[in-house]
Amino acid sequence: MKKHTLLILALAVVLVMPVLMHSGSLASEVLIFGLAAMGCNLLLGFTGLLSFGQGIFFGLGSYTVALTLTRWPLPMPLALALAMVTGGLGAALVGWIAIRQKGTYFVMLTLAFAQMFYFIAYTATGLTGGDNGLLDIPRPSITAFGQTLWPLTSPWQFYGFVALIFLVAFWLLLRVSRSTFGRTLLAVRDNEERAGAIGYNLKLLKLQAFVISGAVTGLAGALHAMMIGIAPLANAEYHTSEMILVMTVIGGTGNLFASVLGSAFYLLLADWLSALWPRWLLLLGMVLMAVSLWMQRGLWGLGEKLWHLRQGKHGQIRDQTTVQGNKT
Amino acid sequence: MNIYLLQIINGVGIGMLYFLLAVGLSIVFGLLRFVNFAHGAFYLLGAYFCFQMTRWGLSFWLALLVVPLVVGALGWLTEKLMLRHVYATAHEFHILVTVGLALAVQELVILQWGPLGDSVAVPDILQGVVMWGSFVYPKYRLFVIAFTAVLAVLLWYLLEGTRLGSAVRAGSESTEMVSLLGINVFRIFSLVFALGAATAALAGVLAAPIRGAEPFMGVEALGVAFVVVVVGGMGSFSGALLGGLLIGVVQSVMSTLWPEGARLMIYIAMATVLLLRPHGLLGRKE
Repeated sequence: MKKHTLLILALAVVLVMPVLMHSGSLASEVLIFGLAAMGCNLLLGFTGLLSFGQGIFFGLGSYTVALTLTRWPLPMPLALALAMVTGGLGAALVGWIAIRQKGTYFVMLTLAFAQMFYFIAYTATGLTGGDNGLLDIPRPSITAFGQTLWPLTSPWQFYGFVALIFLVAFWLLLRVSRSTFGRTLLAVRDNEERAGAIGYNLKLLKLQAFVISGAVTGLAGALHAMMIGIAPLANAEYHTSEMILVMTVIGGTGNLFASVLGSAFYLLLADWLSALWPRWLLLLGMVLMAVSLWMQRGLWGLGEKLWHLRQGKHGQIRDQTTVQGNKT
Repeated sequence: MNIYLLQIINGVGIGMLYFLLAVGLSIVFGLLRFVNFAHGAFYLLGAYFCFQMTRWGLSFWLALLVVPLVVGALGWLTEKLMLRHVYATAHEFHILVTVGLALAVQELVILQWGPLGDSVAVPDILQGVVMWGSFVYPKYRLFVIAFTAVLAVLLWYLLEGTRLGSAVRAGSESTEMVSLLGINVFRIFSLVFALGAATAALAGVLAAPIRGAEPFMGVEALGVAFVVVVVGGMGSFSGALLGGLLIGVVQSVMSTLWPEGARLMIYIAMATVLLLRPHGLLGRKE
């Protein structure tokens, strides 16, 4: 794959959505959950860690931005940065404990932490507002030297802001995934024993992946809270973790752009179907089963397959994420 | 009577239900090596099938007999039609396919019975309380304790005293070895998965008169079952029993000491056990 293809695809999505979609909020949501799904993908698709704890970092981001913008009036970019820090710190803590275990135990630990975080958020009403969440989060304009550069009041203005952050984060994550570090993560995913035997510090690598994932997810949570104006308890629920995971899997693991596809698929389907049929999640459950059974590389894998068929190329489709030059 | 003693007895009642809920998850994990996220869905189906049967005017006792069989059959079909096809794939997909199933079942339940909960009446014979000096306890809860205790003994015999049980335990050690000995492992997989589904449904039926039936009880139960299994040790029968009782008592006692934090405490208990004994109280190290 050409070096810039994915980046161009991401840019295309950012530019096309305002043309095709009526709701700026929905478009922003696609990018925000795209960010969260990319964070999840970095763990699942690149490191082989199935985390049910992404809702923790998403919730941490939401609460952080809500607290900093309402109680301690910090400048908004600083609040977003702080949300990334708390997301990353939360991930460091969860990761530090969870990566002591492998396989199923690891999965269950992340889920246990997700539940624990939910009950902490529910109990600590002073900080989180408990069941009500934190309300009235402002969306301050971007200013410099007293001049308003970019107001964020309308949904499409906010979309522009989210799109900019999304593209930068996408580009950075792409660079991370293609760096030596990213390639080493793939080695951990493909054969953990071997990577360990070569001498890589597995725990450190996994922890680093966790921190990056947590920071990105925290950022997504913060943007989400700014978008809807509240930091609800729902952002810390198991349901959020599950949703992020489902988007990632349906889009396809091991490819960052696929996460954006997954997010778009989930949210557009939700938007379209929930009006027609409130029980649309039934369909989603079935899609998830179908993906697990028959198309394990998700929508992206399906698209690739179709593309190759059109091109008349038969036979094995190259897995884009396997370590290149790894001939044994 | 001492309030804490009452709460401990209460906790034993809850704990026995938790045991029943968790034991299937634990055995399935022991043999099939994956966490069944649809386990809560079978519990949910158990509660709603019980509700439906009592609404048709059938007796609770019939539900207690029929529902586990029906849900067990559904579990058997699930293993045969779906899970069997993902065994060869990466570990994540075993979990994800059951996550999808759990979501689908939950939505089907809402579709059929609506998003609000329904209550199930306690059978006539078990209404009221038992008085024993200053000891006062609901009859139904006593029945649940006694019934699950009998079931626990039966299950223990099934696993420890029968040919099927030894195949299951041997399969937990090494699936290849068992199939080399000429035992059809896939049949055992189906049976064990069906058994897991049936026990979950049974827990659902027993829980229905206590807490009613509502669509999100499956997710909640899944969380509790995880905690129990992790505390007791994955794949361990006695671990599920010990874990269930421990979590039940902790939750019950904490609900008098610190009601808002009762649920939080069971997750803290779990994290503590995991840090100190990563394989659970009675689990084997892999």
